[in-house]
Amino acid sequence: MLAQVIKAYNEAIFDTDRDRALAVVRQAVDSGVSPEDIIFKVVIPAIELMIKSISENFDANLAQHFMTSQIAAEVTEQMIPRFKKSPEIVGRVVIGNASGDFHGLGKRIVIGCLKALMIDVTDLGLNVPPERFVDEAIAHNAEVIGISSMMVHTARGENGCLKVRQILKGRNLEDTIKIAVGGAPYRFDHELYKIVQADAWAENGITAGKVITDLIREVRK
Amino acid sequence: MITGMDRLVAAINGKTSDRIPVFCNLLDQGAKELGVSLKEYYLNGEHVAEAQLRMREKYGYDNVWSLFYVGKEAEVLGCGKIAFANDGPPNVEDFVIKTYDDIEKLQVPDDISGHPAFQEPLKCLRILKREVGGKYPICAYITASMTLPAILMGMDRWMELLLIGPADVRDALLTKCSDFFRKEITAYRNAGADVLVYSNPFGSTDFISMKLFKELSLPWMERDLKPVGSQGVVYYCGSARFNNVIEQVIERLGISVFYLSPMDDIVEGKKIIAGRGLCCGVINDIKLIDWSKEDIRNEVRRMVDQGMPGGRFLFGTLVMPYAIPEENIRAMLEAAYEFGRYGKAE
Repeated sequence: MLAQVIKAYNEAIFDTDRDRALAVVRQAVDSGVSPEDIIFKVVIPAIELMIKSISENFDANLAQHFMTSQIAAEVTEQMIPRFKKSPEIVGRVVIGNASGDFHGLGKRIVIGCLKALMIDVTDLGLNVPPERFVDEAIAHNAEVIGISSMMVHTARGENGCLKVRQILKGRNLEDTIKIAVGGAPYRFDHELYKIVQADAWAENGITAGKVITDLIREVRK
Repeated sequence: MITGMDRLVAAINGKTSDRIPVFCNLLDQGAKELGVSLKEYYLNGEHVAEAQLRMREKYGYDNVWSLFYVGKEAEVLGCGKIAFANDGPPNVEDFVIKTYDDIEKLQVPDDISGHPAFQEPLKCLRILKREVGGKYPICAYITASMTLPAILMGMDRWMELLLIGPADVRDALLTKCSDFFRKEITAYRNAGADVLVYSNPFGSTDFISMKLFKELSLPWMERDLKPVGSQGVVYYCGSARFNNVIEQVIERLGISVFYLSPMDDIVEGKKIIAGRGLCCGVINDIKLIDWSKEDIRNEVRRMVDQGMPGGRFLFGTLVMPYAIPEENIRAMLEAAYEFGRYGKAE
């Protein structure tokens, strides 16, 4: 039964068919599959499968990333209230677009994935000043700051990641708060995350889930 | 004297001139050239024209641009807030479409050439036409109907409407964007633009599935282009790859100039185009910020070696980041001129 649900859900995700994916989940719950199993045995493995596919050079497109993440977030939101006990939060993240950057798609994909991975995520929105990244991370007790940049100047600029790093250093927070970056400039220059002094980068919104989870583990170690 | 237009026309026709055409897309650098802020620079079409002419003269490449920044199209459609930076392109700060109701209210101007937001680009075009018309290709940037909504409502909300929103609302928006495209391309042609860069990242399977490309992108591109024709039109998907749709673009749209992604395989692209058009190999210009001169030279050589055999090849850049040092721009261009000389590399 569960194997059929997993197969049907994965097919719907890869076809970017939200209605079919939600119908699969609905039918599964009606047939007695627990909400916990829906999340931990269907939704999260589907994200992990896409991460694996991407790492094996399967050409997943942006629409698939978007739908995988949005459906995962939607199903998670529906299932969590039905859990027998509240799920354990894996970690906390604040995420936003760098100062001067108004391109929110990548951030939205990341947020959807993080929610499904049981990571508490706070969306700081677009055009976020560097000080606010740090202040909000402290306020939310976040282990990771996510900074999305679609443009070269917002990735490399003095009010982007470089300034966030400087503030973390100045406040002696580098061991407790890590920085993950992502966006087009990083895909075209894989060494750029080092230049802007981030701790890690993600090639796309889906793999960001793994990158951020790894950073949370590093902080919590 | 051989001009940029001579080089381009020769390459399109499968002939040779002195070297391959080289397109270098310097936009924001114009402000530096004139010693003014980016905000001040983009307020005046005379600034843009003057800087375009100066930079082409200074570096010797083959094209000039009438494009200010991509958000100009959103301004013509009602965007009132553009965010200017000191070190990069201006961005749409306030989206015209905030709710689906705004789509119904969206007005496509009857006469784009008379629209206040189009006056400075027109001024720029007239100067370029007067100074280098017929000698150096004048480029214009026009966003396809499938992609224009991204700057009107934000990429994420457009993706949402496209994939899971109401089809009638999506189609109403696409119809307006396609109508706008037809008027805009006509306005640019009338003003003297020769090279019409048809920008459509949603025409790439990096963005959407092949199924959606066939079901939506292709029909909407046909709607954009059928009444206005594909003369002078360049297929361009930003930095997204599109080798796997070239065949369909040639067959269905009649476009014959392809400005590849830096991530596309040039050899494969040329093989698919198979002499039916011009293949433009595009350098990963983000790397030009940090590459050494030797790195740049090696990369240009690699690209030219791949693209030149058989002719019908152009060397180009994306929109060059502001942070690229001038000496690296020169290193790239010198290498392109050297390795792209006919009779040497072939």
